[in-house]
Amino acid sequence: MGNIMSVSFAPECTESKNKYDDCFNKWYTEKFLQGKSLQNECTEFWDTYITCVNAALVKQKVKPMLDKAREDQPFTSEEIRASAGTEKK
Amino acid sequence: MKLFETDHYFHYPWDQVTAANWQKYPNELSTHVVSVDVLNRTIDEERKTLRTERLIACKQSIPKWLTFIVGGEQKSYVREVSEIDLVNKTLVMKTHNMTMSHLLLVNETVVYRPDPELPSRTLFKQSAEFTAYASISKICDKIEEWSVERFGQNAKTGKLAFEHVLQSLTEKWDESGLFVNDVSNTIMKEVNDVSKKTSNVITEVKKLGIFTNN
Repeated sequence: MGNIMSVSFAPECTESKNKYDDCFNKWYTEKFLQGKSLQNECTEFWDTYITCVNAALVKQKVKPMLDKAREDQPFTSEEIRASAGTEKK
Repeated sequence: MKLFETDHYFHYPWDQVTAANWQKYPNELSTHVVSVDVLNRTIDEERKTLRTERLIACKQSIPKWLTFIVGGEQKSYVREVSEIDLVNKTLVMKTHNMTMSHLLLVNETVVYRPDPELPSRTLFKQSAEFTAYASISKICDKIEEWSVERFGQNAKTGKLAFEHVLQSLTEKWDESGLFVNDVSNTIMKEVNDVSKKTSNVITEVKKLGIFTNN
């Protein structure tokens, strides 16, 4: 927080990550939580950041591990609602 | 398979807790977390939920007797999927390890929801399942035992760390007045509830005929 910088697993993505995080945190606290916006308002920062992340996932060979993890543990919305105890009637 | 479960109350409203959750790392206590990245983020407008997938990298020291089996992994990766449900006011986070998962799989579920009795605080429920896959059952038992113990220690640190994060963010938010409306709404709601209950009691008492003299 504040004094320590939040970093990306790929150092080259840290700058775009921080820009995106700042935008998201502002949107989340000031808009989403207040019920003022259900639209992602940080797409511009997101596009730059995720392009960097996706390239780094391949480069650092994390992608195959991630694909397998997604397949093994999809953590679907249904599973999540079951954990929350908020399944549809 | 081994299980670990714990409950805790954070004395902050649910919406603040969910906001602080995105800014939890880095913090001074959770030094094993080295990076956090968002991999996917989608909004379900109909259900008013925000779903996020994150990649968390940890520097986790493992016991010596384990290093000869797993090798000297420097960084381990954890994948987390969370959903924030604005309608039901729940934050659920499901996490599992991607590194060494063929040896030991840790599946963690965390749920944050407002305390129905006292909306100014948030109930935190954490549970984790540990499954060791190594072929020698003795080692499996030992790995599971060590994992539960280690997880318990980390869970304590995690809670303490989050308390610190919440405290310092709340100071910031108090200055900006961001959550002030919500807090006053909560207070108003509690006041309303109390006066509603009071009037119910008065109605009941009236029914008993105590005030019929008037």
